Amino acid sequence: MSVRETWIVGAASNRFGRMKESAREAATRVSLEAIRSAGLEPKDIGHTFVSNAFGIAEHQAHVGPLINGGLGIPDVPSATIESACSSSSAGLHEAIVHVGGGFEDAVLVVGAEKLSHLDTLAATSYFAIAADYPFETKNGATFPGLYATLASAYEHHYPTKPEMLGSVAIKAHANGARNPHAHFQKEISMDTYLGSPMIASPLRLYDCCPFSDGAAAVVVAAKEFVKKPALEPLVVRASVRTGSVTEMQDRPDLLGLPATRNAAAKAFRQAHLEPSQIDFLEVHDCFTIAELFALEDMGFFPKGTAGAASLDGVTVRDGKLPVNPSGGLKAKGHPVSATGASQVVEVFEQVNGLAGSRAVPKTETALTHNVGATGGSCSVHIFSRR
Amino acid sequence: MTTEELPSAPHTILDWFRGYEEEATLRGFRCPNCGLVTATWGLACARCGKADLTEIALGKQGTVVAFTILAVPGEDFLNDAPYAYVVVELEGGGRVTGWMPTIRDTDHLSIGDTVRFVPSYKPGVQFVRDGAGGSPG
Repeated sequence: MSVRETWIVGAASNRFGRMKESAREAATRVSLEAIRSAGLEPKDIGHTFVSNAFGIAEHQAHVGPLINGGLGIPDVPSATIESACSSSSAGLHEAIVHVGGGFEDAVLVVGAEKLSHLDTLAATSYFAIAADYPFETKNGATFPGLYATLASAYEHHYPTKPEMLGSVAIKAHANGARNPHAHFQKEISMDTYLGSPMIASPLRLYDCCPFSDGAAAVVVAAKEFVKKPALEPLVVRASVRTGSVTEMQDRPDLLGLPATRNAAAKAFRQAHLEPSQIDFLEVHDCFTIAELFALEDMGFFPKGTAGAASLDGVTVRDGKLPVNPSGGLKAKGHPVSATGASQVVEVFEQVNGLAGSRAVPKTETALTHNVGATGGSCSVHIFSRR
Repeated sequence: MTTEELPSAPHTILDWFRGYEEEATLRGFRCPNCGLVTATWGLACARCGKADLTEIALGKQGTVVAFTILAVPGEDFLNDAPYAYVVVELEGGGRVTGWMPTIRDTDHLSIGDTVRFVPSYKPGVQFVRDGAGGSPG
């Protein structure tokens, strides 16, 4: 797909949830860990792409040079990449372009977020500014409200039992319970799901991802630069970014996300692969309905059928198509700017046999899917073993 | 340097808010090229890309195409929850999003219901069910 074969050679994440340290400190820490996991040192890094979409919540912008300084490489250039919830997968795409295009041999991608020092109202307000502020937020929208609105259109069109959305949440928590990086490491039952309060109909509390702090980093390097990889690298088979109309009022189709549809179609063409050849997925499940959208929009299930498939257990860890073995945004947590990178951390750990009791049966080829807000932007990456 | 003129939009986002607050008008654009009608501000058509938008007044009545009842409100709506957040297909074309302060549960609103835009001093584009009176506030 690229001029030079490009690999993911290192990856690291902290435990998502509540961080005592700042996003800057956490980002620096996971960056060093990711670089070391690749058998490299910071001086080997030619560029860093840093994401910290809500850095303003910590009164900090331009955090990239501070992270580079903390890594002992203040002379290395850094750029901040913001694409709402898909920020660090947008950074990953930039890194792949830089390495694949021959501009750098090794590039660091890191995303970090800290919002836990804010109250729920302030955190909800920060999330809501990633929508169209005058045309959506000022009309009463919240981030759960926008996905709930899409869910209402979907449920009107395709009969959807609450248990179908519930099965997505239960599976996420079952996987999160086996992931030491996860915010929620506790299983839930269908009764717990159904008994949880409605946040924005038809979405209940357990349909929603949490506000999480967290940091995750990956190292992208050219195959020819890495003579002897320290761990099994991920070969980048596709790296695609798409955009789409942000406002719900201008979308002719409310039954999915067009940015996902376009990104997946292009990624499969780029990789010369089909959905049936993907062994497992990390998809953007900020709300349970979003996982159904992702699976249908990318062509893994016909429209209107992913909920039944989920209820049938197709997407569980040892199912026919394991989805979000990490626990996903739903249980692993969603520290906005760290999420995209953390999806790749999960693929890296699965491929290297580091996933412990959440290991999926087959790890030859994997896909990551990361959405910005309600689909104004989207990233799809496909990786395989050498 | 280019001497090409920038496309000029008929109104600004601030005008859009003034429109519904002061004149009880929902402003919008029609694309003469492809016919798209939109309430969202822009300089070119989001469907065909043609930078030749015409300013229009949108309809005030429409049909609910999607909605949610928000129990946890947005920042400007703290004392109003629960309320409905709606996507409305307007008569004459175009969709807008808005809120309905009098709708507090899913028993009182369905997709396909007819709703009407009402002016209000409260923030946001406000709708009521067709036949209902204007907002008390």
